[in-house]
Amino acid sequence: MNTGEEQVREIIASQAGEWLAAHRAGPLGGAERRAFFAWLTASPVHIEEYLGVAALERHLPVAADDPQMPLEAIVERARAEAVTATRLEAAPPVSSTLTSLRAPRRWLWVAVPAALAVVGFALWRNGEHVTAERYATRHGELRSWQLSDDSMLRLNTDTSVTVRFSRSERLVEVERGEALFEVAHAAGRPFRVRAGYAEVLAVGTRFDVYKQSDSTVVTVVEGEVRVGLTPGQPGAGSAGGRTVAVRAGERLQVSQGTLPSTAVPADTRRSTAWLRREIVFEQEPLGMVAAEFNRYSATPIEIETPELRSLRISGVFSADDAETFVDFLKSLDGVQVEVTHTRIRVSRM
Amino acid sequence: MGEPKKALIERLFAAQGRALQSFFYRRTRQHTDAADLAQEVYVRMLRIKDPDTIADMDAYLFTVASNLAREHAAREGRRGIKVDVEDRAVLEELAQPSDSDAQIDAANQVKRLREVLRQLPPRWHAAVVMQYVQGLSHREIAERLGVSVSMVKKYLGQALGRCRRRMVRLG
Repeated sequence: MNTGEEQVREIIASQAGEWLAAHRAGPLGGAERRAFFAWLTASPVHIEEYLGVAALERHLPVAADDPQMPLEAIVERARAEAVTATRLEAAPPVSSTLTSLRAPRRWLWVAVPAALAVVGFALWRNGEHVTAERYATRHGELRSWQLSDDSMLRLNTDTSVTVRFSRSERLVEVERGEALFEVAHAAGRPFRVRAGYAEVLAVGTRFDVYKQSDSTVVTVVEGEVRVGLTPGQPGAGSAGGRTVAVRAGERLQVSQGTLPSTAVPADTRRSTAWLRREIVFEQEPLGMVAAEFNRYSATPIEIETPELRSLRISGVFSADDAETFVDFLKSLDGVQVEVTHTRIRVSRM
Repeated sequence: MGEPKKALIERLFAAQGRALQSFFYRRTRQHTDAADLAQEVYVRMLRIKDPDTIADMDAYLFTVASNLAREHAAREGRRGIKVDVEDRAVLEELAQPSDSDAQIDAANQVKRLREVLRQLPPRWHAAVVMQYVQGLSHREIAERLGVSVSMVKKYLGQALGRCRRRMVRLG
């Protein structure tokens, strides 16, 4: 685990610790309970750390009873220590991020989607009853749904999809954005995803579809899918219904009229990082990383100096937490960051 | 959930938390196990339609996680029991004392954890000792340390978070 990732982990573990301490102090109120649920379901990493902290807590009554370190000595040390020294010990990103525990931000995350009610309607096609439902997320939002066939649908930020289920087929159209599908197996009822130029056929599997403006990327996490050109799209006719197999750990990028002949190896951890609300990059140009943050953040990051856009950086950041990323940028040599209410300007010093 | 039931689940977790602990405490191979298990727990939690219907989310989470940890153990050929919080017989069975291997393991963990605690900022460390050894309330700790109650919660949270990550890194 690299240091960036470890830093994020410790922040999450500390949030978990605070929630555990809150539970130990007595029953939570309604609003706190909902905030706790929102926190838990924000990421599997939150659950992992919460359970991890709880497992550790069981040893504390024995471990903290340390004959070599009587409480009086610890309290003495604590008193001797200036308040500022304590602040320094608690690394700045930790304290600034921990405030989000009480800030309404995570809350909004759960409260807002109510406004984005799923729009459903029914129609008949080829004499068969088809229900269509539209699912969407707003800027910075991530949400999951269980579909009527038990498949799981997860949408990344700024995504909209329409799900049409009939008795003989399951068809999902990705109008924009990125979605991860965990397809429940159903005999004789194929699961098809159309996203721009690409059409994906799945049986029981887990895969990610990211529709960008000029191409669509399909990444398979588990199982196997077949990818072809979407019927009616340019080049689909000449492809003659040809499809390409994409297996677990592979990806395929489809652009207008071009279906590559084979899939290439993929970093699936990275293409599903958004599930954990993480942004992962390794030796990538700052311009691209900023664009990735701007997919989630309310305040856009602008790289003013052109040569900075090609500066290569590595790290793992929480997508919610542009603040930590900005701190990271500030730590880079020769880089100047100016934060205003509407934008974050990055330039050469 | 009433207080007796909460106590019951705490006891349950204390009694068979070992299954969870092997997932969440050690590193090496178990590291991916922990992540996989957390992923499965996560999916189960996402299926909760209305969180308001669950009075004690903390207890609910541990029940789900324990069940899944047991299933994993069973899949690997070890003895697996599905935990039903309503089933007294199962609870009693789970309350049996742990075997000696696990006790040795626990002793090692305690030794390491003690080392990690000594390196904490003194305020965090003091809050941990007052809470877990002396059993003081957050209010009492706040008075003794001359800080606010919310600060005590913060100290405890950060202490737990740092200990947890140090222990994971130590493996």
